[in-house]
Amino acid sequence: MTATATHCPYCSLQCGMTLVREGRAALAVQAWPAFPVNEGALCRKGWSAVGLRGSRERLTSPLVRDRETGELRTASWDEALDLVASRVRSLQAAHGADAIAVFGGGGLTNEKAYQLGKLARVALGTSQIDYNGRWCMSSAASAGNQAFGIDRGLPFPLADIEEADVVVLVGSNLAETMPPATRHLDRLRARGGHVVVIDPRRTPTADRADTFLQPVPGTDLALALGLLHLVVAAGDVDEAYVAARTTGFDDVRRSGAAWWPERVERVTGVPVAELRALASLLGRSVRESGKVMVLTARGAEQHSQGTDTVLAWINLTLALGMPGRLGGGYGCLTGQGNGQGGREHGQKADQLPGYRMIDDPAAREHVARVWGVPAASLPGKGRSAYELLDSLGQDGGAKALLVFGSNVVVSAPNATHVTSRLESLDLLVVADIVMSETAAMADVVLPVTQWAEETGTMTNLEGRVILRQQAVPPPDGVRSDLEVMAGLASRLESAGVFSTDAEEVFGELARASAGGRADYAGITYDRIRSEHGVFWPCPSADHPGTPRLFASAFATPDGRARCVAVEHRGAAEVPCDDYPVHLTTGRVLAQYQSGAQSRRIRDLPDTGPFVELHPMLADRIGAHAGDLVVVATRRGELKAPARVVSTIRPDTVFVPFHWVGANRLTNDALDPSSRMPEFKVCAAAVRT
Amino acid sequence: MSARRVVVVGNGMAATRLVEELVSTGRGGPAQALHLTVLGDEDHPAYNRILLSAVLEGTYRLDALTLRAPEWYAEHGVDLRLGARVLGVDRERRDVMLVDGTVLPYDRLVLATGSIPSLPPIRGLVRLDGRLHEAVHAFRSLDDCLRLMEAIRPDQRAVVVGGGLLGLQVARALSVRGLDVEIVEGGEHLLRSQVGGPAGQVLARDLRRLGTTVYTGARAVRLSDTPSTSGGEGAVGLRLDNGYTLDTDLVVLTAGGRPSTALARGADLEVRRGIVVDDHLASVTDPDVFAIGDCAEHDGRTTGFVGPAWEQAALLARRLTDPDADATYTGSRSVARLRATGLDVAVLGDPERATADGGEVVEVTNPIVGSHRKLVLRDGVIVAATLVGDLSRIGLITQYFDHGTRLAGTEPAALLMGDRMAPPARLADDAEICACAGVSAGRIRACSSLDEVRATTRATTGCGGCSSSVAQVLASRPALTAAP
Repeated sequence: MTATATHCPYCSLQCGMTLVREGRAALAVQAWPAFPVNEGALCRKGWSAVGLRGSRERLTSPLVRDRETGELRTASWDEALDLVASRVRSLQAAHGADAIAVFGGGGLTNEKAYQLGKLARVALGTSQIDYNGRWCMSSAASAGNQAFGIDRGLPFPLADIEEADVVVLVGSNLAETMPPATRHLDRLRARGGHVVVIDPRRTPTADRADTFLQPVPGTDLALALGLLHLVVAAGDVDEAYVAARTTGFDDVRRSGAAWWPERVERVTGVPVAELRALASLLGRSVRESGKVMVLTARGAEQHSQGTDTVLAWINLTLALGMPGRLGGGYGCLTGQGNGQGGREHGQKADQLPGYRMIDDPAAREHVARVWGVPAASLPGKGRSAYELLDSLGQDGGAKALLVFGSNVVVSAPNATHVTSRLESLDLLVVADIVMSETAAMADVVLPVTQWAEETGTMTNLEGRVILRQQAVPPPDGVRSDLEVMAGLASRLESAGVFSTDAEEVFGELARASAGGRADYAGITYDRIRSEHGVFWPCPSADHPGTPRLFASAFATPDGRARCVAVEHRGAAEVPCDDYPVHLTTGRVLAQYQSGAQSRRIRDLPDTGPFVELHPMLADRIGAHAGDLVVVATRRGELKAPARVVSTIRPDTVFVPFHWVGANRLTNDALDPSSRMPEFKVCAAAVRT
Repeated sequence: MSARRVVVVGNGMAATRLVEELVSTGRGGPAQALHLTVLGDEDHPAYNRILLSAVLEGTYRLDALTLRAPEWYAEHGVDLRLGARVLGVDRERRDVMLVDGTVLPYDRLVLATGSIPSLPPIRGLVRLDGRLHEAVHAFRSLDDCLRLMEAIRPDQRAVVVGGGLLGLQVARALSVRGLDVEIVEGGEHLLRSQVGGPAGQVLARDLRRLGTTVYTGARAVRLSDTPSTSGGEGAVGLRLDNGYTLDTDLVVLTAGGRPSTALARGADLEVRRGIVVDDHLASVTDPDVFAIGDCAEHDGRTTGFVGPAWEQAALLARRLTDPDADATYTGSRSVARLRATGLDVAVLGDPERATADGGEVVEVTNPIVGSHRKLVLRDGVIVAATLVGDLSRIGLITQYFDHGTRLAGTEPAALLMGDRMAPPARLADDAEICACAGVSAGRIRACSSLDEVRATTRATTGCGGCSSSVAQVLASRPALTAAP
């Protein structure tokens, strides 16, 4: 019997778990109580994570689309990779280097994400690379960079929640999306602390809060401005902190002046009395030297004004004097398993490893030196995720797309349009573990290893770099993503080294990140094993890592946080006669993201999509629980059973996004700064 | 092309929003850059006028009202002049003359002069020299507010003349400050221009409960320097037309205002109640002169609310930066909210007019708890509403009102009733108790202890949210009777 300490394959909590294997028999999940983030707890997704092991659903041979029949047929690795390489060459010869685009994922390990960026910039020479993390936490990333000069989801360990007096969760349903994290809220409440949940739905998280506010989707920004207004009016601004640690606060102070409670009520649908009660709770907490922590998640961020929404909440915490204090401040609860690390090492259209910007000459020099290529050979900035997909097959857009760790047919907004863009490609290559909806459209499908079958690091929502270790050999016929990339690089006669050993790639990543904002230079696999993970930045072997940021300075040139005044613009679509309700989307506990993995695990209930609506709205359209109802938007329709619940706003319907359909409805309006699509609100009609 | 000069007369909320909109749209780009001048007759930088009663009440710090500091105008190249009173407009020469003799030429003139408080016909209100009696206060500007705050002491008596929104806010603010307050309203009930009798009566009862005496159907007619009774407590006596005389230290006038139109009249612009503007907010007399906010009259209506003023400001900003913009003003939906501690009032649209115009009315009055709620619908759409004493559904009702949502026949009543209480659920064996581990009530019932539940089902070990439900299910297990 062998036991391997590793981490769950799903969300950004990256719960520690032990995988136990007896001989070649089945693999079992056991608790790893010593790992501090989850203390041995797991949700049912974690407990059932080995469910794909040995499953008939696993892909174990490359597939290529037969020219004669149009069907996928098995092929050897050499045939598949040779085919990809030759098509890449001919397309680039005809249309230039940017004819090839690369699409990555926030579930890829740091090593894969790093290597994918290198593959794009060195082996393919294309600027066209981005990833689905753009649809995850990019608005919080953009806001964090503007306000604090750095983007680390949580600038403190998750357990610091227990040190707060008031925790405000804006658009987070962590009791369902990352259940083991809920223990920190419960302990905070047991200590006498106060939990506030802000969500258009009274979620299981809201059920465990002391205060629940239920705003109209897309109005969290106005709510934050309204709280700032009341904090200023009551004289609860921490003036000493603002003077010593921030710049630009006067503009921010004025930005709240026009957001008096009655106006906020009209925009957000949150009654004045509830707004005032929350503001006075915050004020009282500050006057009694308490700590206020604001945590945002996708509900606040996935909007065309998502960046500004996060900035507005950051401004509130700055007004209260919180960021940098133990138990206070602002944090983002990242979503995907490696949402944090995935955005730090070069998968993003505008970035190089170490969170370096691709248009910074010094950054290009540094990374090019590590890669052994001339800096001038590195392409510049490419398109953001949705814009990249939108441009496929169009004038100036790519003709081929390589997809690693993403299922865009399900997860992209305005999905019908995105699917039509994929159909227009000359070549679609998908590396995946199962036949996802995107893989099913591909010309070449490459079967790759699953988490228990490979080793690599992830960076969790706290900025803690952790190690997933291989517990079992992969099925025959399956290769790791690193092997796939190396195979392609060598066929393309690429410069540079494309190692297939994760630890070796990590060493290179660490060197490439040295001196960057996300500095991993001092992190090694051995340190991660012995220290239960290492928090970046960790610039040298003798550096302890950085669990907490901002205690004495922010990562801006002058060390001060920047207060950026923002204004509420509202959602791109508002209800009208034809589309009279708001549609919002989200997750359910038993499924994960596009469901490519979780929907195939027998122990997880696969309910299919459903439409959650309030009894008053159900009465209006004459629907009963279980009836099939149609949700329609300007982009598409979805038919699914009704769930009639009084926990949702009566002017809003909710559809989970794990199944094909929800994102045919969602809007592709983008945030001007983060390029985040407006997943969380659009105008819809609902009928029987 | 030379810069187009826009002169804005007024520095209130409409003017400030106009300037903000012009600045944020880059004023239409360099090719048609505007040179903006803002003339404010008050000495204070732009402030949020509607929150003055909250400052009086003591719940707001004065500095929280400032909308834009003068430095902001400087940074954005806007010529802001405070304390600048306009003497007259010469439309022939297209210029504006200030009281100090300065002449400012314009290409486009925006009048955002707001409104001025009306003086009710009360003898003795105005001294022979034309100034208000020193016990009398208007309540419109920041200076009015400061002067009143200066004047009040907690043991004083005050009479508020006017039972409209502002009057109630001021009355509540003075009460909160510890004054003994009475309200005199000439109409038959409070808030008579917004709501009907039942709502007004609920409000009057609320106010009495809060210690404020309300006189309705009574007009103040005379202010005298002596109290009614010798040794009376107040400094002055205010005589009502019903024969009463109220002894008081202060009289606050909140009996409405009227659009400030003197400049427009002087410039021969068409003025009825307000400055008459077309759908582009231009004066019907002169297409280069615009009016927005309280001073403007569109389609026969003037408003006293900030919502319409801001909509007009945004529309005019588009018009000034892009003369080809086809944006036209079609009127606004207004929501009036009382801002006063202890009084809950919201008025959506014009419920009395909408009722008179044949709207369908659904209303609930509950005198026991002091609430009155009325929805006026047309074709299933809420076109007006009155909510007094119970605003629990206001966050939904205003959304439906603003979006023109078409409701089913049963919905208006459902909106006015509370949520139906769900009956306590008896958990079926297949009811899910622990979502994290996917454990049903039946599986928990099959265990004999919490430890067994944790070991065999993993319930409670994930997020822990089901701990109390698991304990309940365990406690309600049928007792296993021991064999005899």
